[in-house]
Amino acid sequence: MERYDIAVIGTGPAGVSAAITSKVRNKSVILFGSKDLSAKLAKAHTILNYPGFPEAPGAEIGAAFSRHLDAMGIEITEDKINAVYSMGDYFALQGGENAMYEAKAVIIASGVVAGKPLPGEEELLGRGVSYCATCDAALYRGKSAAVCGFSPKEEHEASFLAEIADKVYYIPVYRKDEPAPVFSEENIEVLNVKPLGIEKREGRKVALRTDAGELVTDGVFILRDSVAPGQLVPGLEVEGAHIKVARDMSTNIAGCFACGDITGTPYQYVKAAGEGNVAALSAVSYIDKSK
Amino acid sequence: MIKEVVNNDFSEVLAARTAVVDFKAVWCGPCKMMHPVLEKVSDLLADKAEFFAADIDDNDELVAELADSGVLMIQAVPTLAVFKDGKCVASTVGFVPQPQLEAWLSENL
Repeated sequence: MERYDIAVIGTGPAGVSAAITSKVRNKSVILFGSKDLSAKLAKAHTILNYPGFPEAPGAEIGAAFSRHLDAMGIEITEDKINAVYSMGDYFALQGGENAMYEAKAVIIASGVVAGKPLPGEEELLGRGVSYCATCDAALYRGKSAAVCGFSPKEEHEASFLAEIADKVYYIPVYRKDEPAPVFSEENIEVLNVKPLGIEKREGRKVALRTDAGELVTDGVFILRDSVAPGQLVPGLEVEGAHIKVARDMSTNIAGCFACGDITGTPYQYVKAAGEGNVAALSAVSYIDKSK
Repeated sequence: MIKEVVNNDFSEVLAARTAVVDFKAVWCGPCKMMHPVLEKVSDLLADKAEFFAADIDDNDELVAELADSGVLMIQAVPTLAVFKDGKCVASTVGFVPQPQLEAWLSENL
């Protein structure tokens, strides 16, 4: 397996900036994210304070980012990273379908996670609550599970789970403009309810509280677009929804850096890009010192 | 050194003064990552505890027995558990980097 110098997670201004600086400093870099870069940036109506782009729509700045990445030969790997493991002298990154990547340093630029966890979600994580159906499906052989999918992308996780579990309840927590889920599997039942919280029940069961009553199953899967930072990198020190960083963008885990909205306010594009630059330079310095 | 629990035989763990057990599965990515970290830590702390690994599929009767008796419920892997004189005194779920694992064990051994 190729071991990259630097893995960058996120293709917003922070991640793009970090990848560009890493490449400028002649490091091999793998950039994880979306070819559309950042939904938040694409939707920004007008940005007034990004130097060089007076009164630019976010899409214009995004297009310029794409040209810059292309010009530098930086490709975007469209794989969702579910976990980053600190192995001592390198990091192992787990993508979808259990694909693994390796890098000497990691830069987290995945943006701030919108929405709070459900009451009970964090307390019961690993004890009836899971964030990854492909990881934990095997524990549900012959059992029932509820899946709260926060985007249509999560439907294939429910289908995968249904191959193993007896019964899967799928709860779409979608935006109004997203299509309703349709499954061909007979053991998947779609419930159009609003999840409110999760509680422990007798006999290894968990109850998902909803606006239409309680659903008791063997487990609840919460599948969001982005993974909370503490879940993404086990052992990472966080402060609420943000990763705790020093001025050089280092975290409490050696070789792991963070930048952009995920390190805290102000949520500004130019601040994110600046932090991406600092994170990359710090990662370069870390790698060079580790030689 | 990590000893493998086989045939649902938990007697060595229960007989140990202090034991650390890694409940794992072959299909679990985080478990594969956890194992080399635990190998290193087991060497560092060899004088403080005995280290074991138990595949939950190969030892499914043991896993069910631990759950039914209320000793330890395994609902995700890896689950790391500390046993003292046969009693489970602490457990943690998911991959833990080496420094954090050493800190957790120093609190619980």
